[in-house]
Amino acid sequence: MVGSPVLFVAIPLLTAFLIPLFAYIWKELVRIIPGIVILYLLVLSVSLYGQVLREGTIVEQIAGWAPPWGINLVFSPFTGLLSTLMLFMAFIIWMYSYRFKNIDFEPSKKYFILLLMLVTGSIGIVLTGDIFNQFVFIEIMSISGYGLTAFYVGRDSAEASFKYLIMGSISSMFLLLAIILIYSQLGTLNMADIASKAHLMKPEFKILALIFFILGLGIEAEIFPLNGWAPDVYSQAPGPIGAAFSGIVVKAGIYALIRVIYTLFDVEGSLQFLVIIGMITLIIAEMAAIRQDKIKRMLAYSSIGQMGLVLVAFGIGTHEGVFAALFLMVSHALIKPLLFLSGSYLVFNSTEKSIKELNGLGKFMPLTSFLFALGAIAIVGLPPLSGFWAKWSVLTAAANSGMLLVIGLVLAISIVEIVYYFRVVNRIYFFKKEESVVPKIPTINAKFAMVILAVIIVAIGFYPDLITSYLHEASETLLDKGNYIQNILSVAQQVTQ
Amino acid sequence: MNSIVIIFLIFLAGAVLTYIGQRLSNILGSSLFLLTIFAATAQFYLRVNTGDIFSFSLNGLEMEWGITPISWLFSLIVLGLGSMAAVYSISAMKAKERLGYFYFNFIMGIFSMMGILLSRDLVSFFIFWEIMTWSSYMIVIYEGRSVQKVGIKYFLFSAIGAYAMLMAIVIIYSQVHSVLIEDLVYSFSSFTLAYKIWLPILLLTGFGVKAGMMPLHVWAPGAYSHSPMAYSSLFSGALSKMGVYGMVLVFSMLITQIPEHLLIREVIAWLGALTAAIGTLWAIAQDDAKKLLAYSSVAQLGYIITGVAVGTELAMLAAIFLAVLHALFKGTLFMVVGAIEKQTGTTNLTEVTGLIRKMPWTFIAALMSIIALAGIPPLGGFVGKWMLYEALIASDHYILVVLIFFASTAGFLYCYKFLFGFFLGQEEKEWAHVKEAPATMVVPMLIFSVLLFVLGTFPGLLLKPIDIGMQELGYAASEGHYWTMSVLFNEYGNAIMLQPILYAIIAIFLFFLVFLTAKAFKGTRYVSTKDISSSGEVPGEFENLSFKENFFQPFLRAVEPVMKRQIDWYYTLVGNGMEALFNFVRRVYTGNGQTYAIYAIVFLVILLLLKSNLFG
Repeated sequence: MVGSPVLFVAIPLLTAFLIPLFAYIWKELVRIIPGIVILYLLVLSVSLYGQVLREGTIVEQIAGWAPPWGINLVFSPFTGLLSTLMLFMAFIIWMYSYRFKNIDFEPSKKYFILLLMLVTGSIGIVLTGDIFNQFVFIEIMSISGYGLTAFYVGRDSAEASFKYLIMGSISSMFLLLAIILIYSQLGTLNMADIASKAHLMKPEFKILALIFFILGLGIEAEIFPLNGWAPDVYSQAPGPIGAAFSGIVVKAGIYALIRVIYTLFDVEGSLQFLVIIGMITLIIAEMAAIRQDKIKRMLAYSSIGQMGLVLVAFGIGTHEGVFAALFLMVSHALIKPLLFLSGSYLVFNSTEKSIKELNGLGKFMPLTSFLFALGAIAIVGLPPLSGFWAKWSVLTAAANSGMLLVIGLVLAISIVEIVYYFRVVNRIYFFKKEESVVPKIPTINAKFAMVILAVIIVAIGFYPDLITSYLHEASETLLDKGNYIQNILSVAQQVTQ
Repeated sequence: MNSIVIIFLIFLAGAVLTYIGQRLSNILGSSLFLLTIFAATAQFYLRVNTGDIFSFSLNGLEMEWGITPISWLFSLIVLGLGSMAAVYSISAMKAKERLGYFYFNFIMGIFSMMGILLSRDLVSFFIFWEIMTWSSYMIVIYEGRSVQKVGIKYFLFSAIGAYAMLMAIVIIYSQVHSVLIEDLVYSFSSFTLAYKIWLPILLLTGFGVKAGMMPLHVWAPGAYSHSPMAYSSLFSGALSKMGVYGMVLVFSMLITQIPEHLLIREVIAWLGALTAAIGTLWAIAQDDAKKLLAYSSVAQLGYIITGVAVGTELAMLAAIFLAVLHALFKGTLFMVVGAIEKQTGTTNLTEVTGLIRKMPWTFIAALMSIIALAGIPPLGGFVGKWMLYEALIASDHYILVVLIFFASTAGFLYCYKFLFGFFLGQEEKEWAHVKEAPATMVVPMLIFSVLLFVLGTFPGLLLKPIDIGMQELGYAASEGHYWTMSVLFNEYGNAIMLQPILYAIIAIFLFFLVFLTAKAFKGTRYVSTKDISSSGEVPGEFENLSFKENFFQPFLRAVEPVMKRQIDWYYTLVGNGMEALFNFVRRVYTGNGQTYAIYAIVFLVILLLLKSNLFG
């Protein structure tokens, strides 16, 4: 074994707490160490993922307590894919944030501590096999999220952070309620154990718990109408944090929701509910996005909309549907951060961050503008970029399940998407620059980070087979609930024997 | 390596190299640009045979590139017009900014059109279709901010069309589990009736947008007239033909398999005829030559769509023939306007006058293509139009014939306006300095003029390949060769024998004209156009004697009720309604934390109330 899944949680947490100490040795270490840690974890994740694909799921028990009593971490083809993706994004974001803006020593200490915690929380959510543990990770993620949102001292960011805090506390309250309900009924917190005993629960309690989960996790997964906080947070947080939210945090929220719906309970109608709520989220968010005048708010609404589409795809429920949802998640996790990262350099020196200020920057910041345009083309799903194949998978999955209305609506709303993205791209390239705007050339590491994303987007666009086999494997794993339960509980049997 | 792949690689590498080369030097960029297009053209005609197939699999989909006789035929339009327009654009675009950008998108445009023609599966068809859309969009907005609305409108309509098409493709894939076109054709008859109706409609929406079919044509006048003219000739000549190509495929392969009483053919044929009629009226009303040609393109494509939709052997033959000819004459006319714009700086028909002596070669090219456009013998347009009328009458579409005939006759008005406005009329001092356009611009126009002449006299040259293509599409050769089935040919043999006689008469006439002129040469006195006196008054130097302003006012007044509202107006109405709706929806996000908390609670209450409905 290369390493244990525990390291994904332990190392970044430990590093986060040690960063202040490193700062005493050499101030630059505050910036360098997180990168090294994330890179190490990324390598570890990739090699573990390779091992998992060959030999099957790894179930790690913490402190020797076997499930269902102890906490366990599950590194399966599905969770492994997500954790690798998240670590990759974390690495890109670290590379980009290195010397981003005026993050000097003191703030940058906080920044990197919180970023590491955010990543830890997100990966913990994905890897853990215990719902209470998941709750704890959600809290870690949210709390570091509050901190990062309010990172720039100012009224607006404090307000955004406060809104997030309100919604976050509602979320944790209902999550806790749901967990209590389950524990009172089944006496267990282990996901596999719950899944195998779910039929013993009284149906009313089961549905109530499901509703509480939907409410609690829906806030993290940004479903309508629980996503009001998101645009504020995305637009007020530092640029790379917006990218982290859209590339990492939301994905973790979606994962948690999907885990509950797919694995924990088998409630009839919950998939249909996903389709309906996903569709509503998509439509409302895209309609709101077209009327925004601030670039980051527009991107935030677009991100919410895409998450709605992911839920729709999960709601289709077939292998193809899950595959499409994962494809969309991966594709969106690459494209939206690219948009956030390039977009935040485009409005670097402005206070308003409005779309108007992007006018004519194409001549002054050619690379950044080009990358933004590439991202815009990719996200609306124009071939030959990765967004097209993601959309294609969603549509074919819907068509194979006979959901013609979904296809029609998704395509109709894509036209709205095209309009607002192209308005921005047109402004960048064909309008005259505003006098007051001072362009800012990105740092070399930021350029590098963005170019990597762009290259991957183009590569997947031209040759989607690069990732499809992994996605198929992952969707297979998610759908095979019996195998999941058996994997985890068999570990328990081995221990008890 | 497969010859088709090599073509695509030439295009792609050429596009990138041209872009980089243009950065380094002008000459390098232009020569790489020409080299790319000519190398690909040569590769295509010398190395690629019908029957070459390249199969591969991507994302679990079996895909195939290959060439069929009908796509070979359309490739003539794309590569022929493409290479000539490329030569033309070297001079036409001289001294413009961002040439690398222009060349790159120009090459990508030709590349994507060839891709469409070579695709034998729906997904690569769609991908190339989208590349075509964005590369042409990039050129539409080349002029900058002023055309941003035009660009957005173009892209919006293209997206509506493309997504209608994508929906059809996705449904087809779910039904057939293959995206190959031949599999679709093979299993289409087993589809349910609802799919049989809706799939062609969705596909035709996609193709109709590009072909500028009413009511999806509203993007066309703006987009054609605002692109650089060097590209407009390709845009109107070749790009819109991709829509026609798609329609040909749909009508000959799918619609033949659905019951006749569903009237899809009739509806599209009528839309085509209406497009022709209304496009013509709007063309007459234009004072700007670019706009005039743009509307004229819409109108001409209307004929073609009608022909394709009626879909009898003769109608299809006529439509494809007209499609090729339209590429020739409309390509030339846009080049003419581009040349005039370059030399005079304006394209307003009421301003520019009397260029006939200053730009004689351009005039000849314009004259030839106008004659072809109007459908006057002996040029090719006559043959095409005649065959179209004949096909419509033979298939009992009498009202359509009237409409098309009306459009065609009214078309004379704008043809005349174009010719008279630019070239005839009094010579003004303002344009005394104008010179003939550079040779690289004139030669492509003249080549096309000669081609128009040749095709008018020997239409069999083109009709034979069309015939082969149509046999491939499933039109069985029951009555021998279709291309001889028109009355026109039966009476006079394979070539129109009447015409040599006509030419002989013209030649004798011309000879005498020259003879008499030469004889009277000594006594000639050159006069300016103002050197006249009418009713005893001698016009002053700046007096406007031309009757170009409000040219066809009585006619336009007569047809005013039809032209009261542009279809644009209705779209604007819908657009405004949507904007209001979006604004309303946006207010859901109040930006207030308390509201969001209330939403969460309301959401919970709704879920609890509906739990028995939602969850089993």
